[in-house]
Amino acid sequence: MTKSLRKRHLQIWTILLALLPLGIISAKLVVPQQPTDALLQPSGKELLPFIVRSAEKENFAVYIRKSNDSTFQLHWINKNTLTYPTATIYLAPANVHDIATSLLVGRIEARGTYFFPIKTNAANEHIIVYDFIHQQIIDTINFKQ
Amino acid sequence: MSVSYAAVGWNRQKKLYDWLIFGFCIVYLAVFIGLTALYNPQYTFETALIRSSATLALLLLHVILSIGPLCRINKRFLPLLYNRRHLGVTMFTIALVHGSFSIFQFHALGNVNPFISLFTSNTQFNSLSEFPFQSLGFLALIIFFLMAITSHDFWLHNLSPKVWKTLHMFVYLAYFLIIMHVTLGVLQFETHPLYVIMLGLGAGTIITLHLKAGAKEVKKDQQSFDLSSQNFNYVCELSDIEDNRAKIFCIGKERIAVYKFENKLYAIHNVCKHQGGPLGEGKIIDGCITCPWHGYQYLPGNGQSPPPFKEKVCTYDVRVEGTKIWLNPMSYGEGTEREGAAF
Repeated sequence: MTKSLRKRHLQIWTILLALLPLGIISAKLVVPQQPTDALLQPSGKELLPFIVRSAEKENFAVYIRKSNDSTFQLHWINKNTLTYPTATIYLAPANVHDIATSLLVGRIEARGTYFFPIKTNAANEHIIVYDFIHQQIIDTINFKQ
Repeated sequence: MSVSYAAVGWNRQKKLYDWLIFGFCIVYLAVFIGLTALYNPQYTFETALIRSSATLALLLLHVILSIGPLCRINKRFLPLLYNRRHLGVTMFTIALVHGSFSIFQFHALGNVNPFISLFTSNTQFNSLSEFPFQSLGFLALIIFFLMAITSHDFWLHNLSPKVWKTLHMFVYLAYFLIIMHVTLGVLQFETHPLYVIMLGLGAGTIITLHLKAGAKEVKKDQQSFDLSSQNFNYVCELSDIEDNRAKIFCIGKERIAVYKFENKLYAIHNVCKHQGGPLGEGKIIDGCITCPWHGYQYLPGNGQSPPPFKEKVCTYDVRVEGTKIWLNPMSYGEGTEREGAAF
C-alpha cells in the first residue's frame, strides 16, 4: 500500500470507531419495550378504563375492556415475537372451534399492542388465533371472569 | 500470477482453501437450520434459511475484514490473504441468498414490484426504531455485488489499481450499513442482550485490529534516517538483513525494500503493482522478489517481472561501506537496471 492509502485506511477506521458504537448504542436505546402497531388498528387507540375479563398465555396477554357507556374493546399484547407469518383473531361462541362461524376481530403481527372495538363483553365467547396462510388454528384463549 | 486471464488460476492451495470455505458454510447452514427445526419447529424453512444465511454472511464479513490487519500485525496470517477474494465472493453469494429470500418472503407476494416495495413499504426514515432497515442491507448488497463482479484481475488491470482499490474500499461503508441493518432490524425484535454483545464484540475486534495495524504502519513511516552523505541515507547494518530477504525503509514519501541476494544488495519500490502488497515482506524465490500477498514476482536488478509478464517497479541506488548500508531515496524509472551493491 502507498503512504496515502495507509493514511486513508486509518482515517476511515477512526471515523468508524466513533460511528459504529454510536449506531449500536442508539439502536439499542430505541428498542421498543411494548411497541404499538398503528397500522392494524381500525379504531379505539385509547385504552378503555375498566377490565372486565382477562386471559394470559405464554405469548399473549388479552383483556376485554369497557367504558362508562358500555362500549367494549379487546386489548391484545404480544408478550413475545409472534413466529407465524399471519395471525388473525376471531371471537368464537363457546364450544365452537371453527372460524367459519366465528366473528373476525382483527389481525395482529409479529409484535405489538393492539386495540380492537368489539360489540360484546365476550362473556360466552372465547378467542381463536388463526394463521390464514397455513390455514390452522394457532391458539385458543378462554377468559377468566 | 498469470500471463493470460482465466476464470480462476487453480492451484492446490486455492482448491484446499475453497473446499474449506465451502465445507464450513455447508456445515454452518446445516447445523443452524437443524437446530432451528429442533428448537423452533414452528419456523418455516425460508425463515431458517434467511436467518442462517444472514448470520453466516455477517460472520464471514468479520473474518474478511480481519485478515488485512492480522497480516500487518503477524505474517503467519498471510496464507489467509492469498485467497481472500474467494472468501469475499462466497460471502456475497451467502448474502445474496439472504437478500433474495427476504425480498421474496416480505415483498414479492403483493402486486407491487418487490424492489419498489422494499423502499416504499416503510418510509419512516425519520424514526430510529421504525427505520426501514431493509434498505440498508440492500445498499450493502449492491456494494458487495460490485466488488464480487470486479474481483477478478481482469478488472484490476482494466479499471487501474487506483480505481479498483477505491471501489473495493467501499467495503467499509458496506460494513457500517450492515451493522446498522442488523441493529435497526433484527435486534429490535430479538432483544436478548447476548446478540448486541456479540455484535459489539465483533465490531470492536475489527476496529481494534485495524487501528492497531494502522498505528504500527504509522510508526514504521515515522522512522527517521538523519545520517546522510551525498544524497545517501544510512539505514542499517549489513547483518540486519537476512539472505534472500529484505528490510523496508520509509525515506521521504514512499517505502523502499532493500534485498540481500547472492552477496549483493538491491533496492526497489516496496509497493507491488498488483494489489499494493509489501514487496519487502516477501522473499526471493527462484531468483525473483516474490510478493507475499499473491506471488507476483520482480527481478531484483531491474524491478521488472520476468518475461512474459510486464509489471515494473522503481529501482534505487544502494551502497555498502564497511558494514553500513546507505540508500539513495531518489528513484529511477520503473524497470531501470541497477547493478546492486556488492559486499
